[in-house]
Amino acid sequence: MRAFFGPLDPEGRVPLHQQTRVAAFLISAHGALARHFAFAMPLKLESAWQTELNAQFYREAEIVSLLLRATSWIPDLALSYLAASWETTWLPKPIEGIDDPPLALAGDLAARAHAIHAGIRPAALLPVEADTHDPFVTALRRIEFESGRLLQAQILLLKSPNLTPFREAVSATLEERHAEIRKLWAEALEGVGVSVREGNNDKS
Amino acid sequence: MPFLSYGSYRIRYELDGPTDAPVYVLVNGLTQYAELWTAYRDALVARHFRVATFDLLGQGASDKPALFIRQDDHVAALHLLIGELGDGPIFLSGISFGGLIALRYAIEHGQRLTGLVPMSCFAELPPQLYLLGNALRTGLVLGGTSYLQDLLLPMNVSDQWLKPVLETLDNVKRQGWLINDVYALQNLMESFLDFQPLTPQLPLIGVPTMILNGEFDFLTPRALHETLRIQIPDSSLVIVQRAYHAFTLEKPALTADLLARFAEDVLAGGWQGNKAVWIAPEEAGGQLVPFPAGYDHLRAIPVQETIR
Repeated sequence: MRAFFGPLDPEGRVPLHQQTRVAAFLISAHGALARHFAFAMPLKLESAWQTELNAQFYREAEIVSLLLRATSWIPDLALSYLAASWETTWLPKPIEGIDDPPLALAGDLAARAHAIHAGIRPAALLPVEADTHDPFVTALRRIEFESGRLLQAQILLLKSPNLTPFREAVSATLEERHAEIRKLWAEALEGVGVSVREGNNDKS
Repeated sequence: MPFLSYGSYRIRYELDGPTDAPVYVLVNGLTQYAELWTAYRDALVARHFRVATFDLLGQGASDKPALFIRQDDHVAALHLLIGELGDGPIFLSGISFGGLIALRYAIEHGQRLTGLVPMSCFAELPPQLYLLGNALRTGLVLGGTSYLQDLLLPMNVSDQWLKPVLETLDNVKRQGWLINDVYALQNLMESFLDFQPLTPQLPLIGVPTMILNGEFDFLTPRALHETLRIQIPDSSLVIVQRAYHAFTLEKPALTADLLARFAEDVLAGGWQGNKAVWIAPEEAGGQLVPFPAGYDHLRAIPVQETIR
């Protein structure tokens, strides 16, 4: 197991089986968020905060589009069963303990998006020698950078006065989503010889 | 790699040196991690101290709470760690954010300490620091950890330190970038949103206290350390020459020597704080000299002191 992608090819590119696995995972995760934001967005925006839904939807869609084009794909047989478990994880699970169903669902979406944007750091797996002009390398850096910005909307919602009365429930759900997604990410990477760094809440 | 349990979270810590020796506990600054104290571990162990380092919640290999983290959590985690260290003398030192946590610990659990060394520290958030803190947080949010490092490095270390590493700055920043997560740093920064000044409680700190302040510290300038000197009864202020906010990174040999000498003085019964102002030597082992009488140590030019 390696701590970073590799071994790189002579041009400094990430091995194709690692590119394929990582891109598939990220497309699944960000694609699911794009779908959920699309469903949550009304045809006519009526509140200022809904403009953020629009931004989130298009940025998630951009990530999917970027990976589809920047990745050098090869067949990966494990994707059939891995993708099924990933997609199951993205299904909505309203936060328990919040008796307002739309709020419980919105909180769940924010918690999942927080876990994906905050907990998944694909650029941190690039070795120093990775070719900075390679599109896949650039895509991973861009996704990690954009995730830090997208995360702000989730933080605002999860810390908003609407959810303050449910702080314990929100906190528990958020930690659970982080653990869930970290586990999936770690498993996806282990299958291609990469082990995510030690520590960092990995109690699973 | 040992861990302490704090609720459902784990705190990574490390102990070095003889188990029966006086202990130095070192608390990280905001963007730091325990390995940055390596030179201190070596120097202090060589001076017959035991050294405890750890990653705060949200840092390095400790758990990173996803959203909510309070400064009380850091104090409680530090209390857990100190609880593991037996009944011998404990010296507590912290840099910047870590200095603040050390101050809070000394206010709440001072009876457990033998000495305290706040470095590049503050007990209040006056407008400059408040606005700088907000700007750094915005920098983190918009530009990520790397941009925060870009802002902090030139502000906190000298040209002499930067010049030889200028061409390889990305390598210098890489470990900090790898080990720190945006959301976790943001949570640490946002623990200041409900910050209350500690100044009224500083007189409760009864232990010998050596306050270290870099001569050119821009982020937490002299006036902030002066509050500590005035309010902490058995304290002295030591100005570290030609040093900026992050002098623990830049001058480890000198700073470790100052820490060791302070603890040795206290243990030998020779420490007298007297709220004095000293100038540290340029190199480890040199003499501390009193700040010239009659001149104002809060000014950058030799202005004669007025009665305050």
